[in-house]
Amino acid sequence: MPATDLDAGEQGLYTLRMMTRTLCFLLIFSLGLAARAQDAATITVRKGDRVSLAVTPLGGPAGPAVTKVLQNDLDLSGWFQLVPDARGSYLVGGTAAGGSLQGRVTDSSGATILAKTYRGNDREVAHQFADDIVETITGNPGIATTKIAFVGTASGPKEIYFADYDGASARRLTSDRSISVAPSLGPGARQLAYTGYHEGYPDVYVIEVASGARQRVVKAPGTNSGAAISPEGGKMALTMSKDGNPEIYLTGLRGGMARRLTRTRGVESSPTWSPDGSELIYSSDQGGSPQLYRIGAGGGGARMLATGFAYCTDPSWSPDGKKVAFTVRSGGGFSVAVLELGGGAARVVASGQNPVWGRNSRHLIYSSGSNLNLLDLQNGRTTTIVSGLGKVSEPTWSL
Amino acid sequence: MKLSSVLPCALAASSLLLASCQTKDQFAGLDGDFADGMPLPERTDGAAFLGGGVSKGQFSPVQFGFDSVEVGGSEMGKVQAVADFMRSSQSDVIIAGFTDERGTEEYNRGLGERRALSVREKLVGLGLSGGRIQTVSFGEEMPAAPGSGEAAWAANRRAETGVVR
Repeated sequence: MPATDLDAGEQGLYTLRMMTRTLCFLLIFSLGLAARAQDAATITVRKGDRVSLAVTPLGGPAGPAVTKVLQNDLDLSGWFQLVPDARGSYLVGGTAAGGSLQGRVTDSSGATILAKTYRGNDREVAHQFADDIVETITGNPGIATTKIAFVGTASGPKEIYFADYDGASARRLTSDRSISVAPSLGPGARQLAYTGYHEGYPDVYVIEVASGARQRVVKAPGTNSGAAISPEGGKMALTMSKDGNPEIYLTGLRGGMARRLTRTRGVESSPTWSPDGSELIYSSDQGGSPQLYRIGAGGGGARMLATGFAYCTDPSWSPDGKKVAFTVRSGGGFSVAVLELGGGAARVVASGQNPVWGRNSRHLIYSSGSNLNLLDLQNGRTTTIVSGLGKVSEPTWSL
Repeated sequence: MKLSSVLPCALAASSLLLASCQTKDQFAGLDGDFADGMPLPERTDGAAFLGGGVSKGQFSPVQFGFDSVEVGGSEMGKVQAVADFMRSSQSDVIIAGFTDERGTEEYNRGLGERRALSVREKLVGLGLSGGRIQTVSFGEEMPAAPGSGEAAWAANRRAETGVVR
């Protein structure tokens, strides 16, 4: 099944959106583009249009290694067309040595638009520089410094793995040898919540990623699972059955009192937070098969989202608040679909499941058998970022 | 009618209404609004369905239809067997719910739990104390039958009962 492609209607919409978004940098951007725009009378920015950018190999002993990571980050960002020489609209250069990178970006007039020193290992400095380049030139947040976690079976049982957004530097975070699933990364990837059967019951554990310290924070009777850390990092939404039915509850990151949000006879699962933390979308089969519902974090009534699909689970609310991605089951297989919350039909964008948004609300990561894939919804490009770790599933992506 | 005569009438009516609410069962029952379910008892220390302290395999698993949490009439005999045992014994039980592989993982964890809770509700309906019945879900993990296909899927949609020793 081909990855996403925008149809003609969406193409028009996209053009409009893209124009607004890029108006600022179009204005200051380059004489060449302005002249071209004048010639054409109207500015048409197509989805294929990318900013041309040349990365000159970085100097210093770490130069080659950092350059490689940096080029990959800029390529995966989707914003740039990497050109091999100095004919780009922007020129990236610098020196990398001994755990630091001095990076510099100049525009076609030779003016420096970004000059900064980064500290960290080769991958860290490259990721930081890449995100600064994306933000400086496009005004959008970069994803290169973000982290992912997911379930893998490379060592046999399901365990939680942690990696850079591009799948590199993957390491196993749990050694429970039971069933460890449903990870959720908090902001900055400082904490990770997951469902562990270590004590024989599904309970929610929180790991301090830097130190590896782990705490069992929700261990109520029954099943406790699917915790989602709130955007500000202080709360969790999760499924608990202690009161006699699987419902959505809110609790603190250290556990404590759990406040019940839903009251149905159905199965509520997979809550996802709105970017401001004031609302949640979750899956419920209260009406038969699982559908998506939206509810205030303070409680109140839930409203069903019309998706047009009979089986909708695993919602992920985009950080810009405008979209929800989710899993659809149809014809015995799973697809990834995206619904615009402002109205419009949901559309299938990939074959797979468990989609999660990147912080730019442009990329999705989803699972497909033994792969995790990175999907750029703007240009339709799919890149496999994780493979060879057994069956992988349930990715989470830090903001 | 004057306000002075309306007010006592209204008060009397509302207190009657309140009284009738209070006499209603706290647990709304299988057809209720589910504002109040049957809270689960605290876990028994040292007893977990997967770990030690629990005897498994004593009862036939209760089977479920696809994406269903209803305990069918054909399965009630299995629930009755658990009820008979519980009446003759002091032991508590843990009911573990499972699903086939065809859903998404987290939804299946919830679905498995709901299946276990359905069996628990049947046992309570047969007069047993919900305080003796814990539940747990494993979702699509640990299938009873390996592989894919209708026969395996049907075998895997189940609720097993373990006896706390």
